[in-house]
Amino acid sequence: MRVSRRGFMKLTGASAACISLAQLGFNLSPVQAYAADLKIAGAREVISICPFCSCGCNLIMHTKQGKLINVEGDPDYPISEGSLCAKGAAMLSMHNSDHRVYKPLYRAPGALDWEEKDWDFVLDRIARRVKDTRDKDFIRQNAKGQTVNRVETIFQLGTSQMDNEECALSHQMLRSLGVVYLDHQARV
Amino acid sequence: MAKAFFVDTSRCTACRGCQIACKEWKGHGVVPTKQRGTHQNPPDLTSTNYKLVRFSEHKIDGQIQWLFFPEQCRHCVYPPCKMVGDNYDDTAILHDEVTGAVLFTEKTKGLPFQEIREACPYNIPRLDNATGQITKCDMCIDRVQAGMLPACVKVCPTGAMNFGELEEMQALAQQRLAIVKQKHPNAQLLDADDLRVIYLVTQDRTRYFEFAQRQELPSFTRKSLLAKLASPVQHLAG
Repeated sequence: MRVSRRGFMKLTGASAACISLAQLGFNLSPVQAYAADLKIAGAREVISICPFCSCGCNLIMHTKQGKLINVEGDPDYPISEGSLCAKGAAMLSMHNSDHRVYKPLYRAPGALDWEEKDWDFVLDRIARRVKDTRDKDFIRQNAKGQTVNRVETIFQLGTSQMDNEECALSHQMLRSLGVVYLDHQARV
Repeated sequence: MAKAFFVDTSRCTACRGCQIACKEWKGHGVVPTKQRGTHQNPPDLTSTNYKLVRFSEHKIDGQIQWLFFPEQCRHCVYPPCKMVGDNYDDTAILHDEVTGAVLFTEKTKGLPFQEIREACPYNIPRLDNATGQITKCDMCIDRVQAGMLPACVKVCPTGAMNFGELEEMQALAQQRLAIVKQKHPNAQLLDADDLRVIYLVTQDRTRYFEFAQRQELPSFTRKSLLAKLASPVQHLAG
């Protein structure tokens, strides 16, 4: 093997470095073994949105074989720049939680237990109750005889996941019913 | 090259995003809990909590100070846990020469837990009773090797958690210290020369919790460690 002077200096330099690393207690290859697998390597990345507050942070959802395996913030999202709070950071556990509700639950008046219902049933039921309550409790005039046209027995709690247009639509519908008690989940 | 964390507690709002992100990345399950009158939960590090935001409250100069300390392994430059571990099995605890991460492998099952824990100046190692392994933060070495930030750093919304090259983090620490000192004259960096996790605290370190202080066994001071390291060299030279 021909070794140039420069190559020889490099070689001796390298072995000197190895001695000192070993003396410092470093291990070389076992570290590679320890960190062999990155669990999201080869995973599909899907962008989703955190369902909690009105920041609406983007989330990168990592999936493998159709299963969610990791969730973290999206560095390209300008509001959070990849960070998340404790609630957003727990998205994987929330997704996989056995406490999750997959279908609407209904508890009949006076009943003790909840039962699963389909959306047709609950939407019809909600519409019926809203209409009945509004018709029954609609107030045309207050005690002074002033026109008020309001309903005081319905309360609406909005969601931080609605955009401006959805908020406007929701607001118009509720005002047209005479609902005056409007609030927002992000204030809770 | 050598990596480091810089933890700026003056920016920490104790949202505990780091604590959760750590759990989620590691796939650690829930720990049964109860109301203990503090947001610090669980009360201590466990074998499934490598990261814990510690809370302490003080009245200082007539003002309430609520202090937060996101605790984790400091990845010592000269890790005493490894010095002790090597007496039994020098492949049980690894010291990555690239990043400086101190890693507890599966082989820590064979190490005496109490001795390893007592060697740690910051009381970090915990025993996983199910597997018999000794556990702690591993700097998310899998992520770092893939060019990603550790989970606790990536998640932090306030800039309290930082990670990068050692020199960069040391420079950032000095820069932040100068700024924070204007408002908090007691601000200081904790054992910055000995550690790869540099903490900036705003109050005297005794105000935080017991192991915000360095609790050294006499045989593990920096001086005696350096002496121990130098001895084989002297032997070779001699």
